[in-house]
Amino acid sequence: MSAVALNVKDLSVWFETQSGRLQIVDNISFSIKAGEATGLVGESGCGKTMTAFAILGLSPASGGTVESAGIEIGGTDISTLSAVQRRRILGRDIAMVFQQPGTALDPVFTIGQQISAVHRRHAGGGRNNTRQAMLDALEQVGFGQPGKIAAAYPHELSGGMRQLAMIAMATVCKPAVLIADEPSTALDSGTQALVLQQIKRLQADHGTAILLISHDLSVIRQSCENVMVMYCGRLLEKADCQGLFSLARHPYSAGLISCIPQISALKPSGINAIPGQVPTPSALPPGCHFAPRCDRAVTRCAQSVPGFGAGSDRGSDRDVACFRPL
Amino acid sequence: MKKLPFLARKVLYGIPLLLGVTFVSFLLMVYFGPDKTYELLGKNPSAEQISEVRHALGYDRPFLLRYGDYLKELVTLNLGLSDSTGEAVSSILARTLPVSIALVLPGFVIGNILGLALGMLAAWYRGQWLDKLVMSASVVGMSLSFLVIIIILQILLSTPYGFNIFPVRGWQVVDLSSYLYYVTVPTLALLLVTLGYNTRFYRAVMVDEIERDHIRTLQAYGTSPAELLFKNVLKNSLIPVLTRIMFSVPFVIVSGSLLLESYFGIPGIGLVTVNAITSGDQPILKAVVGLTGVLFVLALMINDMLYSVVDPRVVSEQAVSKS
Amino acid sequence: MTRTTWQRLKADRYGMSGLLIVLFFTVVALSVWIGLLGQGWSEVSGNSWESISATHWFGTNLLGQDILQRTLFGAATAFEIGLIVTGFSILLGTVLGALAGWYSHSWLDEIILWLKGVLDSIPFYLFAAAVAFALQGNRWAMHLAMIITFWTTTARIVRGEVMRIKQREFIEAARAIGLPGITVVFRHVLPNTVHILLVQATIVFVVAIKTEVILSFLGLGIRDGVSWGLMLAESSQEVVAGQFGNFTAASVSLFIMLMGFNLFTDALQDALDTRRIMP
Repeated sequence: MSAVALNVKDLSVWFETQSGRLQIVDNISFSIKAGEATGLVGESGCGKTMTAFAILGLSPASGGTVESAGIEIGGTDISTLSAVQRRRILGRDIAMVFQQPGTALDPVFTIGQQISAVHRRHAGGGRNNTRQAMLDALEQVGFGQPGKIAAAYPHELSGGMRQLAMIAMATVCKPAVLIADEPSTALDSGTQALVLQQIKRLQADHGTAILLISHDLSVIRQSCENVMVMYCGRLLEKADCQGLFSLARHPYSAGLISCIPQISALKPSGINAIPGQVPTPSALPPGCHFAPRCDRAVTRCAQSVPGFGAGSDRGSDRDVACFRPL
Repeated sequence: MKKLPFLARKVLYGIPLLLGVTFVSFLLMVYFGPDKTYELLGKNPSAEQISEVRHALGYDRPFLLRYGDYLKELVTLNLGLSDSTGEAVSSILARTLPVSIALVLPGFVIGNILGLALGMLAAWYRGQWLDKLVMSASVVGMSLSFLVIIIILQILLSTPYGFNIFPVRGWQVVDLSSYLYYVTVPTLALLLVTLGYNTRFYRAVMVDEIERDHIRTLQAYGTSPAELLFKNVLKNSLIPVLTRIMFSVPFVIVSGSLLLESYFGIPGIGLVTVNAITSGDQPILKAVVGLTGVLFVLALMINDMLYSVVDPRVVSEQAVSKS
Repeated sequence: MTRTTWQRLKADRYGMSGLLIVLFFTVVALSVWIGLLGQGWSEVSGNSWESISATHWFGTNLLGQDILQRTLFGAATAFEIGLIVTGFSILLGTVLGALAGWYSHSWLDEIILWLKGVLDSIPFYLFAAAVAFALQGNRWAMHLAMIITFWTTTARIVRGEVMRIKQREFIEAARAIGLPGITVVFRHVLPNTVHILLVQATIVFVVAIKTEVILSFLGLGIRDGVSWGLMLAESSQEVVAGQFGNFTAASVSLFIMLMGFNLFTDALQDALDTRRIMP
């Protein structure tokens, strides 16, 4: 049993507006062990990215509020740290890879300058040491000529190369936790595989705990041991990957799985879709947020919120927030 | 070797602009300018006398040749003699330009640095009380006329109705302390009149920069706000900032010195110009208008070249968009 | 202006006070034009430099003219300059900017951009002096100089907008059914830039009034009538001698009016969400 690398307790994010409170992330808890990869899946706008920002303590724009009972990285609660103390952790113990490699890097500094800045800030050890670490990080993500990449500006690289450079920046200090927010979504499928492979390598080589955020279950299936399903700011199901794909307990998870296009499927109906639309944060239904779209919903589902373990206790290997799980 | 054709192209684009600027000043100052024929003639001149004088003044030469003459004057700096004093225009300019620069430079530099600092501060604390304070103050500043600011400062600092510690007018600069004595009130005026606009402009630039994705990346990697602002945000916004500064150089030097010098009676290029306007001294005016236009276009060309130094994207992007 | 814009504008306290100030001065200017106010601006109605009294609310100037009357008349002068300069420069800028944007990267665009570049390269006050010099004391020289130089900003904005809107689907549809280019511009493209022009107009108005003050001081301003600029020019000789009547009346009126316009412009920009960076 390896140690818990990231432990998130009762994390919530909300915005106060004139029409009331918009709950973006609603009281979620999870933990990831060292050397493990956990996927966070959900439709766009369900609060995945906001969860990632809240973990890092990056204040959301336009004054949202973040609240938690603790965000522990290797046993240290970073949610109670001062801004200065937190900055020593960010990039060293926990790093993040962003969705848009085109805009996530500073356009007026070279790749080498940006990676070196992270290393210098957290590891120090002199100019040569930093340069060596920077070149090593670039080489490790698969660049044959790291010196050339280091001298390049982001706009001189392709999207996939930028994302690999971003991963090199994330790994230059060998963090215990890596959050990857849709790291491959903006890339073509060949590069996608390369990026995911690099994230896996990091997990294997350094025992980094990975939180892989994606709207694409097949990406998570390829790369993760565990998966969490998120809907309208809440976690609906937590399971190991294999378990979820063989039997999804929450009706929403089952719906998501059936949405994956199956090339080999002989069914003439082709791709399934979950009926209805995702409610906006300003008009969330009471009770289970998924109830209006759920064919298994009963009166109770629209009235009270199911917590984990709300349903009949079939197979206790996982958490399901449903009164009537499959 | 991508940079060389880029620079050459910039110079090439500047040429039509240079021709245009000189042509407009030629048209206004020389071609449609006052006809001096009759000033030089006695009463009841004969037709022969008139054509003689017109010939001497070059009025009978073809239009394009006269424009060519004007261009030659500007290029060789052989600008003729002042109508009112008879002094060579080039020596007048050489004498007065340093005074004007000494007069407006402190206000210009401080105004931009302070504007940049306040703009950054307001952008960083966007929507909070500090931002609101800075923005409200800038609206007040923008609503004050330059002339009103000068007069208020004069009352406050240079008359018995206020502190009466600075001179009402004049410019007898011999050393640093006399320089400070004469330059303080004009500098404060220039500072106040430009600060509101500068602050707002720089704030808008900084807000745009701070909202960009890579700023969040930097924050996610533990960059301190100071490093973020002074290294990343500043370097990214250098292009609008530099453009602003380059564009405002002629405005501040020329317009600032026109008003400040004529108000405070400071013998710089602005006062010379104002006097030339009132006395109709054409040789001075056509030199000042033509040369400022040329200098401005040159400043623009330098500015474009600086872009490619400051921002690595400029050269390649333009190369792509042109092909 | 759409309903939501107006709603947002109404919610903005500063913007609404700005609008009230602008309306107040508009009423004053209209009253002067139809002959209700400020008609005695040039009459000598008292002694030199009388102080504030029931007959002369703001006192009198050196010549014994009533400062209140002159201030009221000055408001009308300011509006006259603002309206003329704003109207013509916006019109010119819109037409040239729309042409340049619609035929972008053609020779017409190049010529308009070149003209704009040339005019932007000559410092304004020098240009005004040059125009005044060429027109030899014509009373419209100042207005003309402002119009010729102020259209360029509008043109740049309109050109950019037209180039942007040109790409949109409904414009392409209009072209596809065979409407001639220029009809499409005036019927479909320009209406979509009205909100930007409105903001630009309020900005030009302020600049025109501020410019008049400087030009009048330099002797290049208005030639008949009285303006706040002329009053301030007069007052620059008087304040050193302790006479503050002209200065106070003109500077306070000018400040309040400009403040009104600036507050309104800000609120308008926020309500329309058109804030752009302009160097």
